Amino acid sequence: MAEKILEIKDLCVEFNTDRGRIRAVNGVNLEVFKGKTLGVVGESGSGKSVTALSVMRLIPSPPGKIARGTIDYRGENLLDIPFDEMRRIRGNKIAMIFQEPMTSLNPVFTVGNQIEEVLELHQTELSKEQRREKAIEMLRLVGIPSPDKRITEYPHQLSGGMRQRVMIAMSLACEPDILIADEPTTALDVTIQAQILELMNKLQKELGMGIIMITHDLGVVAETCDDVAVMYCGQIVERAEVKELFNHPQHPYTKGLIESIPSFDSTTGERKDRLPTIEGMVPSLFDLPDGCNFQDRCDFATDKCRGSEGEPVLKSIGTNHDAACFHPLS
Amino acid sequence: MSEYLLEVNNLTKKFPIKGGILGREVGAVYAVNDVSFKIKKGETLGLVGESGCGKTTLGRSLLRLIEPTSGEVFFNGVDITKLDADQMREMRRKMQIIFQDPYASLNPRMTVGGILAEPMEIHGLFKDKEERRKRLLQLLDQVQLPADALNKYPHEFSGGQRQRICIARALAVEPEFIVCDEPVSALDVSVQAQVVNLMMDLQKDLGLTFLFIAHDLKVVEYISNRVAVMYLGNMVEVAESHELYGGARHPYTKALFSAIPNPNPNVTHDRIILEGDIPSPMNPPSGCHFHPRCWNATDECRGSYPPVTEESLTHAYRCYNPNQVSK
Repeated sequence: MAEKILEIKDLCVEFNTDRGRIRAVNGVNLEVFKGKTLGVVGESGSGKSVTALSVMRLIPSPPGKIARGTIDYRGENLLDIPFDEMRRIRGNKIAMIFQEPMTSLNPVFTVGNQIEEVLELHQTELSKEQRREKAIEMLRLVGIPSPDKRITEYPHQLSGGMRQRVMIAMSLACEPDILIADEPTTALDVTIQAQILELMNKLQKELGMGIIMITHDLGVVAETCDDVAVMYCGQIVERAEVKELFNHPQHPYTKGLIESIPSFDSTTGERKDRLPTIEGMVPSLFDLPDGCNFQDRCDFATDKCRGSEGEPVLKSIGTNHDAACFHPLS
Repeated sequence: MSEYLLEVNNLTKKFPIKGGILGREVGAVYAVNDVSFKIKKGETLGLVGESGCGKTTLGRSLLRLIEPTSGEVFFNGVDITKLDADQMREMRRKMQIIFQDPYASLNPRMTVGGILAEPMEIHGLFKDKEERRKRLLQLLDQVQLPADALNKYPHEFSGGQRQRICIARALAVEPEFIVCDEPVSALDVSVQAQVVNLMMDLQKDLGLTFLFIAHDLKVVEYISNRVAVMYLGNMVEVAESHELYGGARHPYTKALFSAIPNPNPNVTHDRIILEGDIPSPMNPPSGCHFHPRCWNATDECRGSYPPVTEESLTHAYRCYNPNQVSK
């Protein structure tokens, strides 16, 4: 069993808005292991990114607030430690890649400056020359050709894929324990996506970091993750090892998600008539129903799901497989 | 009349690059370069390629929302590139477009009823008040929105519902041909499936013809009868969609389709990882534009652009070495 490096317990994050208080993340439990990738999937607004930002303690406050829970990193609760201490961990031990490589880099500094800045903050023992050398080495590591020239260029001189590589180089400069990747390839073309995912996989093997992969693309999950958590309306509705989840989804929402991906039977060339869909839409966080949040879109919903016995809680339904459902599919 | 609704011959769109103090033309980007294809009545032609390959420019040139530089576009046997502005407006009643972003393409100050009635006003259709109301309700019904949507504003709807409004607006003038420019790319997976189903149903019921542009290859493959692949302004391969996965001839098509992440963790497939990025369209490589990233490139490929090879009625490609596609 791999070493557990991060454990999120009962995390609740609330936001105050003009229309009242919403709970964007509601009782989330997650574990990250050394050298493994945890996938977090869900649709927009399901709380994936807020969970990630909580780990980094980057939830804007106000309006946001971590209402409850602990985030345990190697025996330390990240939510209790002082701000200065957190600064030492953020970017150094736990790093993050954001979705938009276009807006996450500073346009008025060269990419070299931006990588060196990370080193200057966290690896104070390095000299200026050593930092430059390390920055070039990082760019080479992420597969940027002629890194000694690229290092003096500005973000606008690089393509989208190159910028995302720079982001990865920046986040890995301090060889973090944990890398949080928030939709790292969503803005990229498939061919570039394949390059970046391959790169992350290779670097994970070399550096042994734990990765939290946040995505809405189940294809990316199937190809990169070891474990998967499915989120819906701020809660984890199912969690399992990746093959188990795809082969035996237990929560109707997970099953619906997997089925609604267009698939093509290339052996026969036959096309399915209609795509299976999940009817309806995600309920508003302002107006969540009693009981299970998925009840209105679920084919199996009963009175139990509509609140007669409270909310379904995430519980074990098999080896290393949890679901929050009163009527798991099995 | 021929069985083809749309016939495009040697369509080219050149964007000049101006530079220097005098603003003289110092170069040009061929966003669409010598593209020819046909679309049958009732057919869906998918159009895929990486960002910047000219998909959107091609789609808009067909409606002359971007004026093509040269080439012919025959719609129902009429070359629309020769029409004047009035005739073209008349023609656009038959040719509509749906845009990618359902948030940006609806006027937030207009009610849904107003949005749907506007194209009818422009084209002078359904002038009678009662008749128009009936038509509006019929449109909402076709895209499965409730009748009370008429008096609501776009912000009251979710992304998927807004895209339904956009579809209804395109249908308002009873078109024959719709260019769908990334209509489901901005939507969540579960909603995306609903909209894809809706579009396929509408096509069947109303006999529509689609040009379906998307970068999500799975959706394109699913919805299209045939798929065209573009690379740096050129159409490199056209084939029936079920042929593309296994029977692709062009190495770029092979690489593109092998790059799709497979949502099935039980199988591992061999992936062709392309080296490098798309070259700059301002300064494309000589010969076949794909040769710097191609693992089969020969001197011939570096010399001149490969001609179109028509393997069958439905399958054509532009490559000198189409059979050595394994890597």
